[in-house]
Amino acid sequence: MKKTGHKLSAANLGLLFSLPALIYMMIFIGYPMIQNLILSLKNVDVYTFARPENQAFVGIDNYIALFSNANSVLPKAIINTVIFTVASIFFQFIIGFGLALLFNNKFPGCSFFRGVTMISWLLPVTVAGLLFKFMFQLNGGIINQFLTSLHILEEPIEWLLEGRTAMVAIVVANIWIGIPFNMMLILTGLTTISPEIYESAGLDGANKLQTLFMITIPMIKPAIMSVLTLGFVYTFKVFDLVWVMTKGGPVNATELVSTYAYRLSFEEFKFSEGAAAANVLFLILLVVGIFYIKTIDDNEVM
Amino acid sequence: MKKSKKNMLSLIIIGACIFVVFIFPLYWMLVTALKTQLEIFQIPTPLWPRDLTFEAFEKQLSQSSDTLQGFKNSIIIAVGATVISTVLSIPASYGLARFNFKGRKLIILLFLITQMLPSTLVLTALYVMFAKVKLLNNYWAPILADATLGIPFSVIILRTYFISIPKELDEAAKIDGCGHIKAFIKIMLPIAKPGIVVAAVFSFVYAWGDLIYGITFMTNPTMRPITSSIYNYVQQYQTLWNSTMAFGIIAISPVVLIFIFMQKYIVSGLTNGAVKA
Repeated sequence: MKKTGHKLSAANLGLLFSLPALIYMMIFIGYPMIQNLILSLKNVDVYTFARPENQAFVGIDNYIALFSNANSVLPKAIINTVIFTVASIFFQFIIGFGLALLFNNKFPGCSFFRGVTMISWLLPVTVAGLLFKFMFQLNGGIINQFLTSLHILEEPIEWLLEGRTAMVAIVVANIWIGIPFNMMLILTGLTTISPEIYESAGLDGANKLQTLFMITIPMIKPAIMSVLTLGFVYTFKVFDLVWVMTKGGPVNATELVSTYAYRLSFEEFKFSEGAAAANVLFLILLVVGIFYIKTIDDNEVM
Repeated sequence: MKKSKKNMLSLIIIGACIFVVFIFPLYWMLVTALKTQLEIFQIPTPLWPRDLTFEAFEKQLSQSSDTLQGFKNSIIIAVGATVISTVLSIPASYGLARFNFKGRKLIILLFLITQMLPSTLVLTALYVMFAKVKLLNNYWAPILADATLGIPFSVIILRTYFISIPKELDEAAKIDGCGHIKAFIKIMLPIAKPGIVVAAVFSFVYAWGDLIYGITFMTNPTMRPITSSIYNYVQQYQTLWNSTMAFGIIAISPVVLIFIFMQKYIVSGLTNGAVKA
C-alpha cells in the first residue's frame, strides 16, 4: 500500500474507508461467533465455567445430545419455530399484500392510514409483547371480552396458559408487528408497475382476479421473494416477543430455538449446549439467507 | 382511469376500518394506563376510562420508580450505539459504493449476513468478553453490542444512497483540487444527509428496542435499559396493568416521536434497506 495521502490507489482507498466498520464487526460479531463455535464443542456448564482446567473438547457431543437426549427440547423447539414462522408469514404476507393493493390506490387519507399502520413495526417488541400479553389475559383481557360478546367463545379462556392457544397468541402478536414490513415492501414493488400495463390488460378484457395473478404477482416477484425470505429470517430468530409473552411456556409449548438457546445458557447455565443450540439456529438462517442473497443478486445492484 | 365517487368512498371506509383495527392495541394501551385497576378488571371492562385517572403516570414518573432511570439509561445506550454505528457506516458505505476493489462484494455479503444473525449466537461470547474487561453493568457493554445491530443496516442503505448520487460531483470536486477524503467530507456528506438521518434513526430504534443484550449485560437494576426494566416490572407486579401500560407508553414515546417527525425517512429506509440491499 502506498502511503502518500491522496495518491493512494482507488482500490486501497475504498478498502480503507470500509475498514473501521469491518474491524468493528469482526471484533463484536466475527470473534464471538468463533468463540461460540469453540464453546459448543466443549463441556462448559455451571460446574466447569470457573474452572478452565476442567473444560475439555467433547467434539459434537452437545449437538448429538440436543437432538437425541430425551429431555432435550430442541426438536420440539424447531417444530414450534417452524409453526410460528410459517403461520406468521402466511397471514402477514396475505394481509400485507391486501393492504398494499389498497394503499396503491390514491384516496383521501391514504397516506395517513398507511403511515399509521407502520408504527407497530417500530415499537420496541418488548412493549408490544406486554401489550398483547395483557390483551390475552383471562381477567381484564379485551380479546376474551370481544370473542365472548360476539359468541365466538362460550366463556373467557386462559390463552397463555394452554399450549395451543398460547401459540395462537404469540402468532397473532407477531402478525400485528410484521404486517407493515410486508405491506411496505410489496407496495414499493407495486409502484414499479406502470399504469399502462393495467390499462392494456383492461382493454384485453381481463378481470381483476386475472390481472392480479397474470400481471401484478409475476411483475413484483422479486419484491415477493425478498419479503418472504427476509420475513422468514426475521421471524425465525424472534426472541423478545416470546420471552416476554410466554417465556416459552406453558411446558415448552411456545419454546422457540432462540428462547431455548437463551434458556440453556443463561437460566440453566449449560453454556456449551446453549452455544450449540444457537449454532443450529444460525445454520438454518444461513441456508435461507444465502437463498435470499442469491435471489437479490440475480436482479439487483450487486 | 377514472374512479367513481362511490368507489372512492368505499376505499376510504375500508382504509378507516383497517386503521381502527390496527391502532386498537395502541389505543388500548393508552386507555388502560388512564383507568383505575377496578375498571380494568370490571366485567365487561369499559372501552374508555369512565373514571379517568393519571395516577399510573404519576406513579411511574415519580422519583421512586425505575421508569425514569430506565429511560435515561436507554437514552445513553441508544445514542451511544447510534453514534458508533453512524460514524462507522458512513465511510464504509461510501467506500463500498464508490470504489471497485477486490473483496468488495464479499464485504457487502458479510454485512448482509450479519443483519440476519440471531443475537443468541454471539451473546455468551460477548458476555464472557465484557466480563473479562469489567464492562458488565457498564453502559459500554450494551452500547458496543447494540451498535452491531445498526451497522449492517446503515451500511446497506447508505450505500444505495451514495450510489444514487451522480459520480460527476466527485469528479468536479477532484478537479477543484480536493483529494478523495476532502471531496467526501465537503461534497458527499452534505448531500447524503437524508440518507444519514435514515441510518441514524434506524440505529437508534434498533438500540432502543433491544431486550436481550440489556437483560444479559445489565443485571444491576439502576443500570437497566427501559425495555429490561419494564420486563422486570411485569415479573414483579403481574396484574398492575394500568401502571405497566403507563410504563409502556413512556417506553415507546421516543419511538413514537421519531415516527411522527420522520415518517417519510422511515418509509424510504425500510424499503431501501430491504429490497435494494
